[in-house]
Amino acid sequence: MSAFLQPGFWVFVLALAGIYGIFALGLQIQYGVGGIMNFGHVGMMAVSGYTIAVLVIKYQWSFWWAALLGVTLAALLGALLGLTTLRLSGDYFAIASIAFAEITRYWILNTDSVTGGTQGTLAIPNPLGFGGYTDQPDRILYWISDRLYPVLGDEASRDMSMIFIVWPFLFLFIWLSSRLQQTSWARVLRATREDDDVARSLGKNVFRFRLQALVIGAVFGGIAGVFWALQFALLAPEDFLRIVTFYGWMILILAGATRVKGLLVAAIFFGFLYGATRFLEFWPLSLLSSPERAYLRVFLIGLVIVLLMIKRPQGLFGKREEMVLE
Amino acid sequence: MTKQPFTEKFASHMTSSDSKLLDIKDISVSFGGIKPVQNVSFSIKENTFTSVIGPNGAGKTTLFNLISGMNKTTSGEIIFRGEPIQAIHAHKIAQKGLIRTFQGAKIIRRLTVVENLMMAVQGNPGDNLIGFLKPKARKNFEKLARDEALRRLDQVGLSKFADEYAGILSGGQRKLLDLSRALMANPKLLLLDEPFAGVNPTLVEKLLTVLAELRKDQYLTFLLIEHDLETVMNISDRVIVMADGKIIADGLPNSIYENELVVDAYLGSRRKES
Amino acid sequence: MSDLIQYLFNGLVVGSIFAIAAVGISLLYSVLRLVNFAAGDFLTLGAFITYFLSVTMELNFFLAVFISMLAGMGISWFLELVLWRNLRRNKAGTLALFLVATGVALMLRPIIQYFFGTETRKFNIDILKTYEFFGARIAHTQLLVLIFASASIITIALFISKARIGKDMRAYANNPGLAAVSGINVDRVVLATWLISGALGSLAGVFLGLVQGQFNNAMGESLLLSFFAAVVLGTIGDAYGALVGGFLLGLFTELSQLSIFFGGVPSNYKPVVAFTVLVLVLLFKPEGIFGYRARKV
Repeated sequence: MSAFLQPGFWVFVLALAGIYGIFALGLQIQYGVGGIMNFGHVGMMAVSGYTIAVLVIKYQWSFWWAALLGVTLAALLGALLGLTTLRLSGDYFAIASIAFAEITRYWILNTDSVTGGTQGTLAIPNPLGFGGYTDQPDRILYWISDRLYPVLGDEASRDMSMIFIVWPFLFLFIWLSSRLQQTSWARVLRATREDDDVARSLGKNVFRFRLQALVIGAVFGGIAGVFWALQFALLAPEDFLRIVTFYGWMILILAGATRVKGLLVAAIFFGFLYGATRFLEFWPLSLLSSPERAYLRVFLIGLVIVLLMIKRPQGLFGKREEMVLE
Repeated sequence: MTKQPFTEKFASHMTSSDSKLLDIKDISVSFGGIKPVQNVSFSIKENTFTSVIGPNGAGKTTLFNLISGMNKTTSGEIIFRGEPIQAIHAHKIAQKGLIRTFQGAKIIRRLTVVENLMMAVQGNPGDNLIGFLKPKARKNFEKLARDEALRRLDQVGLSKFADEYAGILSGGQRKLLDLSRALMANPKLLLLDEPFAGVNPTLVEKLLTVLAELRKDQYLTFLLIEHDLETVMNISDRVIVMADGKIIADGLPNSIYENELVVDAYLGSRRKES
Repeated sequence: MSDLIQYLFNGLVVGSIFAIAAVGISLLYSVLRLVNFAAGDFLTLGAFITYFLSVTMELNFFLAVFISMLAGMGISWFLELVLWRNLRRNKAGTLALFLVATGVALMLRPIIQYFFGTETRKFNIDILKTYEFFGARIAHTQLLVLIFASASIITIALFISKARIGKDMRAYANNPGLAAVSGINVDRVVLATWLISGALGSLAGVFLGLVQGQFNNAMGESLLLSFFAAVVLGTIGDAYGALVGGFLLGLFTELSQLSIFFGGVPSNYKPVVAFTVLVLVLLFKPEGIFGYRARKV
């Protein structure tokens, strides 16, 4: 029980919630606005995260430029995905998107000389000997935790500093996203979810709109990847399995796909689920070993998704009428 | 009853004109062994009102799909305002001023009535992502668009539904919305697919008046698919009759009644149906 | 040359497994419009139940396989009654079906892990015995699988084409409305579809476990996309196509290792070959090798 009262636990929960909140925001733009079912979103995270790791460790790039390029590459992956497969109907696009993400992950997994392969970024061959890429941002993180120390004491951890970096961005992106959803651009997309032909007959290039939604979502996925890489300071291919996309979907459905405001609550719920299965020690969790806990986490997420889709597909804040139109 | 095909008789009147808004040259389309439209040719002058009639399955809607770019022709040319458009994407064709409606009044239920109309306005800076950075321009445009939309809703008596989801409208009301929306898209040529089906006669009267006014004030051109022959005869300058994917008659409304081929087509199709 | 024979043979063996798994997935999609994201985990389940019965409980291997097929059928039918039926009745959209199928997959693996543990397992069949065939090395298990899988495939193909319920399934898949009004018992068709896909899933899992020599919880799930590739390649909506697609995909992935293909695809990239086939088919020939669209792609 004591774990619950540990502030460190909640700090972890919030840090994770921030990162996955941004991740889910990308999905929200793609699906909630654009009606695109992207099940390969994790690929964007993988691309930006690994770009940073490889460029900083192997090629001594600055973290900031690497992050920028990483997000750009994530956007490009989204563009590639869209240009090639967006004209397919929903189900087939969804499957193709999984294929893209998996191809990306397999490449990461098997190109040991660049990405470190199964051992992760610690194994990236680097001339200078250290396997980390967070030196530069760490300076900022520790500067923040130094400032916080007088107030928070020992709780002024790196995780806490992460919250102070990620959450402002999360709020900013939520604000931007909700502004974006009030434009006529979003209105056209809402119309295309129901009827492509009408939009086309009124002069709207439906493909262009959809592609834009996909790429914007990919950008958010990439940004989430940057923060993820920063949070955990090392990456491995199994961090980017197919299921990670479904973390985002769970958050999205829980929040209510067409609404932005529920994302915060849903992301925190996810963070809690993740943190609880990882850290809490009370019975019956104490019976489980670490890999078993990972399985429990997966089980619970699957359960939440199934229950939501059966009982309350509009999530906490969505409108039932809009769901019925799918 | 004269034996001379009316297309020929009428043709001499047409070719001398040079204000051809739309020029269809021998278009055909085939897929899967079916040829819904075969060797169709005709042209439309500006500011005219042309109706396309014919039995079910004659290819009328397919013709509209071809003209508007929703389906691609397998042969032939379509010239709109002097420009060949048969290879251009549907949305670009619409942007050039060729606007069509669909059978059954496809409205967007998840948008409000006024949003349905606002979507039709061309040149909205908010449609581009760059526009996201110009909130003031967007806001101004939206205000103008909304005002215009409300004005049109008023014209057709739908003002009170302005901010309701369009799904609540009745069939006839949806037709009105559909028509208003097409008009908002800055059309030069309007392709209306059965705009009066299911609309009560008084309303049809009203709509026809509106259309006639628009034709006069805004120099619009209309191409209509209709089944109600009386309406067709009353408003059309010209009637084109299609059957089995081909044009079998093309001329003044009165002349169509007496055309052997036309009667045959209608009776014939009824024979097929029985 | 011996490489060619080796890969050809491996391709046939793997292909037969793909074929069996793909048929189940294809039938579910064409009859129920359901993309079964849990299909991979049903394979894993089949393998682990068989392991438990034949190794831990020391039952006869064939009996164990049979029981695990029954279990696959039972669980599939259970989910239909509890989950899918309601979703269909409420006219659930594509996204709902996708997410629920994924949710089921996410719940299935931990359940397997809970009951059967997380360690890597293997069957009590000799995995080391091999034969020589024109320079290629053929494992005893591979041969077993090829024989039994082929027998299963022939059985399935005959069943679909000759059995009354098989014909009903095809008719319903082609035109649900017409089938329903022409007297086909839709409930029976749905039941048959679930039972068949459940049984085939287990069977494919056992075969896969035999061919791989050893297996773990991730066994089936990691091949899910490859199964989809087989279905798409063989033409979506065509059960025979899934069989052909499975074999073709098996051959493609194995033969891609030949050096004439840019020096040969490394063996750990074989799944990427399958994924690439999936994407390429969707992009350039979505109607698959049999060239028709049962459904709009």
